[in-house]
Amino acid sequence: MKMKKFINQPENLTDELLDGLASAHKCLLHRGDQNMIINNSLDKADRVTIVTQGGAGHEPALSGFVGDGMVDISVVGDVFAAPGPQACVDAIKLADKGKGVLYVVLNHAGDMLTGNLTMRQLEGSGHQVIKVVTQEDVSNAPRDNADDRRGLVGCVPLYKIAGAAAAEGKSLEEVAAVAQRFADNMATLAVAVRGATHPSTGMALADLGDDDMEIGMGQHGEGGGGRQPMKTADETADIMVKGLLADLGIEDGEKIMLILNGSGATTLMELLIIYRECEKYLATKGIEIVANFVGEMLTVQEQAGFQMFIARMDDELLRYWNAPCNTPYYKKI
Amino acid sequence: MLLDREGVRRLLDSVADVWSANTTQLNEIDSKYGDGDHGVTIGKIANLIKRSTAAWDEESIRVFLTQLSGGVMAIGGGSAGPLYGMVFDGFAAGVPADAVTIDAATVQAMLSGARAALQSISKAQIGDKTMMDALLPAVAAAEEVEGDIGDILQAANKAAAAGVEATRDMVAKFGRARSYGVQTLGTADVGALSVAMLFEGLATGIE
Repeated sequence: MKMKKFINQPENLTDELLDGLASAHKCLLHRGDQNMIINNSLDKADRVTIVTQGGAGHEPALSGFVGDGMVDISVVGDVFAAPGPQACVDAIKLADKGKGVLYVVLNHAGDMLTGNLTMRQLEGSGHQVIKVVTQEDVSNAPRDNADDRRGLVGCVPLYKIAGAAAAEGKSLEEVAAVAQRFADNMATLAVAVRGATHPSTGMALADLGDDDMEIGMGQHGEGGGGRQPMKTADETADIMVKGLLADLGIEDGEKIMLILNGSGATTLMELLIIYRECEKYLATKGIEIVANFVGEMLTVQEQAGFQMFIARMDDELLRYWNAPCNTPYYKKI
Repeated sequence: MLLDREGVRRLLDSVADVWSANTTQLNEIDSKYGDGDHGVTIGKIANLIKRSTAAWDEESIRVFLTQLSGGVMAIGGGSAGPLYGMVFDGFAAGVPADAVTIDAATVQAMLSGARAALQSISKAQIGDKTMMDALLPAVAAAEEVEGDIGDILQAANKAAAAGVEATRDMVAKFGRARSYGVQTLGTADVGALSVAMLFEGLATGIE
């Protein structure tokens, strides 16, 4: 299929996108050098700050969540590509207001290389940094082999929870412990029904037959097994909810967060139909949804499909989730 | 044979030419089993090399390669940026600080340096279907040559090309291709391929 996107020069995609984000949300954030997106109130921050990094092309993630109560600096590479370590080192130094920095890295090959090199370069710099890795895709490895699990939409609620803990004035160790506890209790499963095109090359990523869907695809539509004939909303919802509950070992009486994150071309209509079935199924198991989001947080261009995210919640995590935040694409009053 | 700054420039430009000519092929393979842009990144690195060699002025060979490494590392190319950044950093580490020319032993040290640098950030082994499957045999072959720079680079090129061919029979164990498992059988690894292109560029550049 031929790519039809409103773009200019492919090599300027990331630059123009970041310009647009900074123009549209100038009351909340601004551009820094080396593709940084910076929270406008970072200067006044007297607390633990939060830095993250990742590729572009997944809007609103990651930079759309820069603002009060979530991310302080997002370091962007290029489309689907991690930034280099120098930009991340500089971002962490800039973000450190004397209370330390939580550095959130999604488990993807390039991001992890940059994350490790960044931490290596910061050794002995006097900056207090704790790195938390999000790795919650249940489809590519069992839970005891989390190093092979990719980071999907789970980083976004994690920013929210860590951001609220930081805003409460918790120490870096405490903020990192909260973030890690949330990360250890979250799981995502993705389903794709149609692939995306890479906006820089126009080439199709992944090829799914007209009658197939694939459960267990990664961030960019990389395959992960689980190809099967297309099913109904309810059947798909049931397969995915069961997979996530089994992975997390969630039982009768527990409370969860449920996020349905559209991949870019799946309608809100479909997501809401899926959500309704999830809630019905969970009710039969005595599991209560105490926090939710249905919409787009982390997309993959025009890929059709969605990511289902479940996290085990407790009262403290719920308090952080419900705390106020003000970012371009996630706000709470 | 000794390589001076002009000689090093010629080798690097030759690498950039081979890479630039093959970005579409790299994108095509990466679109099947990766995220579709290895060729984009390799093209960006090639352009950076050309810009840097054109502007190469006072810096020593080692300083130049170190600066190039920093530029590659910062290119924003996912894993390929840091990985190739380390390769160039390893090249630089093999050159004595005050050297104005490079001899055969230095070339061998540069290649060994690239291997050490890459292994300091990646655990990938032979057989994992990664860049290592071209780089490790190429460096090993280069280290065994007792001859001039041309012989070393030809041997490395040949071993890297054979290394890429061998990846067709491997199942990916690292990076994004890993999630495709046995589906990757039959297709060469895109990272090994771009490493082999680097050696092809070096071997052609020395001729």
